Amino acid sequence: MEPLLNSIEYLFQFWPMTLLFIGVTLGIVVGSIPGLTTTMLITLTLPLTFFMNSVNAITLLIGMYVGGISGSQIAATLLRMPGTPASIMTTFDGYPMTQQGKSERALGLGITASFVGGIVSWIFLAVLSPPLAKLALTFGPWEYFTMVLMALVMLASLSQGSLVKGLIAACLGMMVHLPGVDPSIGQMRLTFGFESLEGGLSLMPVLSGAFAVSQIFKDIINIDASPPSVSVGRKGMMLSFGDMRKYAVNFMRSSIIGTWVGLLPGIGANIAAMLSYSTAKSSSKEPEKFGTGHEPGVIAAETANNASIGGALIPLITMGIPGSIVDAILIGALIIHNLEPGPLLFTTNPEIAYGVISAYLIGNIIMFGIMMFAVVHISKVLYVPRAYLLAAIIMFCVIGVFAVGNSFFDVWVMMIFGVVGFIMERTKMPLGPFVIGFVLSPIAEAQLRSGLMSTDGSIEPLFTRPFAASFLAVSVLSLLWPLYAEWRKSKAAKVAAAK
Amino acid sequence: MKNQVNPKAEIALFIGLILFSIIVYYFSLELPEPEYEPLGSAALPQGLAVLMSLLSLIVIVRAIPRLKTYQANVDPNPAVIPRPMLSLLIFVLTLIFIGVLDFGFLGFLPAGIIYLSVVGYLMTHRDLKRLPWVIGFSIILTVSSFYIFTKLFYIDLP
Repeated sequence: MEPLLNSIEYLFQFWPMTLLFIGVTLGIVVGSIPGLTTTMLITLTLPLTFFMNSVNAITLLIGMYVGGISGSQIAATLLRMPGTPASIMTTFDGYPMTQQGKSERALGLGITASFVGGIVSWIFLAVLSPPLAKLALTFGPWEYFTMVLMALVMLASLSQGSLVKGLIAACLGMMVHLPGVDPSIGQMRLTFGFESLEGGLSLMPVLSGAFAVSQIFKDIINIDASPPSVSVGRKGMMLSFGDMRKYAVNFMRSSIIGTWVGLLPGIGANIAAMLSYSTAKSSSKEPEKFGTGHEPGVIAAETANNASIGGALIPLITMGIPGSIVDAILIGALIIHNLEPGPLLFTTNPEIAYGVISAYLIGNIIMFGIMMFAVVHISKVLYVPRAYLLAAIIMFCVIGVFAVGNSFFDVWVMMIFGVVGFIMERTKMPLGPFVIGFVLSPIAEAQLRSGLMSTDGSIEPLFTRPFAASFLAVSVLSLLWPLYAEWRKSKAAKVAAAK
Repeated sequence: MKNQVNPKAEIALFIGLILFSIIVYYFSLELPEPEYEPLGSAALPQGLAVLMSLLSLIVIVRAIPRLKTYQANVDPNPAVIPRPMLSLLIFVLTLIFIGVLDFGFLGFLPAGIIYLSVVGYLMTHRDLKRLPWVIGFSIILTVSSFYIFTKLFYIDLP
C-alpha cells in the first residue's frame, strides 16, 4: 500500500501532474478527431519522452491512453463517426440521442460511464497486479515462451479479418525483428550486407510507419469529408444520484466485462464494448429499444471500453505481455527507457509499476473533469481543417523518428513501413498481430532457446509444467476455435441451402 | 461481395510474401550451425519463412475461386470523392523532402517551409486565396519545430 501512496503523492508534484494533464487533454482532443488514433498520438509522442525521467514519460503516455479512449465518444455521439474503434458501439445509441436533441445527456452518460469503468478497473489493477507479479516471478522460460505464443495466437485469431491473415501478420512482425544481432549468441544475421541493418530495425520507425504514416495517407484520400455542424451545451450533462442508482448494475457489469476482456491478450476496447453492449441488450427488459437512443446502451459501451484499459495494464506490468496495440507500444516505451517490462518491474523499478497504477487513477479523474467542463469547447476540434492537421502530423513524424537515432535511415524505414501498413489495411491484414509479433519475438526466441538449453533440447516441459501446458492449451484452442466456428457456419449455410 | 479484397491484389501480395520468405530462408542458410545450444540462429528465420509461405499459399488458394466472381464495390455517387492520386502525390513529395534533407541539398528550415507550403496548397484544393494562410502556417510550424527540437531537445536537425 505504501509504494502506491508514495506514487500517488509523486504524481501531485508539478511536472508529473502537468504532464498527466497534458497527456489526458491531448488524448481527448486526438481521440475525438475521427481518423486520428490514440496509437498514432502515443507513437508520435514517444521520441519526446526520451528527455523525461521514466516515471514522467509513462505518466504522460498513460494519460494519453485514458484520454484517447474516452475522447473518442465525442465524435461517436455527435457525428456517428467514432474517433477510435473503441467507440463504435457508442454510435448505436449516442447518435440517435443527439438526433433527438439529447446530445448533452448522451455525452454526460458516456463521460460518467467512462469514469466509473476506469475507477472499477483501477481497483482490479491495484489489487491484482502485485500478487500476479509475485506469481509471475516463479515462471521460467517455458512459461514465458508459451505466454507470448498465447498472446500472439489469441490476437491473430480474435482480430478483424481471417485467422490466417492474422497469423501471417504475426509472422511478418516477427520476421521484421530478425535482422541484426541474434540476442542469444551474438551472431549477426539477415543483414543482407547492409551496415545500417546491423543494429536491427528500431521500434519507433516501424511503429510510426505502420500506424501514423499509413493513417495519414489513408486520411488524405478522404480529405474532402467534412463533418456536419452540431452545437453542444453544458446543461443536463451531470448525472443525478438517482441516475447512478438506476444504472448501478449496468455500470458494475460493464466494468467487470471490460476489465476481464482487457486482461486477455489481444482483445481491444472495441471488443470489450461490443461484448458489454450485447450483454446489456440481452439482459434488458426492453432489448428492442437498444439502437434507438437507449441510455443503457451508451453506458454499457463507454463503461466497458474504458475499463478494458485497466484490465490490459494488468498483464503489461505484471508479465510484460501486451493486452492491446497501445500496450505493445507502452512496452516499447519501457524498453526504450532501458526498463525491463515483466514481474521484476515491481522489485527493480517499483516507481514505474506503481506509477502506471496511480497515473491510471489520476488520469481518469482528470479525464472526468476535463470532459465534463470542456467538452463544449473540445467538440469544436472536430471542425479543424484537415489540410493543416495532416501536414503538421507528417512533419512531426519525420522529425520525431529522426530525433530517436539522429539518422535518416530510420526515416526511410518509417516510410517503407507506412506503405506496408497501408497495404496491410487495404488487404484486411490486422496490424495488431504484426506489432505484437515485432515487440514480442525477441522475448519468445530468447526464452525458447534458453528453455531448450536447460533441457538439452527436450520440449517435455511444455507439457509437464502446469502453467506452460495451460498457456499452450489456450493457444491451441484459440487456433482451433475460429476453424470450428467457420466449419459450423458453412455447415449451417449448406443445410439452409438444401432446405 | 461487399467489402471484399480484390483477389488479384491479394494473390499478388501473398506471392510477394512467399518470395520474401524464400529470400529470408535462403539467407538464413548461410548462418552457422548451432554449437552451444540446440536451436541456433537460423531456426527462427527458417521456421517463420516456412510458416509464412504455407499460410500465404492458403490465402492464395482461397482467393483463386473469387477471381471469376469478384465485382468491385464502387459507389456510383459517393458522399465524399476519394482522392488516391493526391495521397500518392503527397507521399512522393514526402520522399523528396526526406531525400533533400538526407543528401543535404537544403537545410530543415527552407526545405520544411517549401514542403509544407506545397503540401498544404495541394490539400486545400489549390485555392490561391488560402495560399497566404498555408504559407504562414508552414513558416510558423517549421520555425517553431526547429527551435523546439534544436534548443529544447538538443536534436541536430540538418
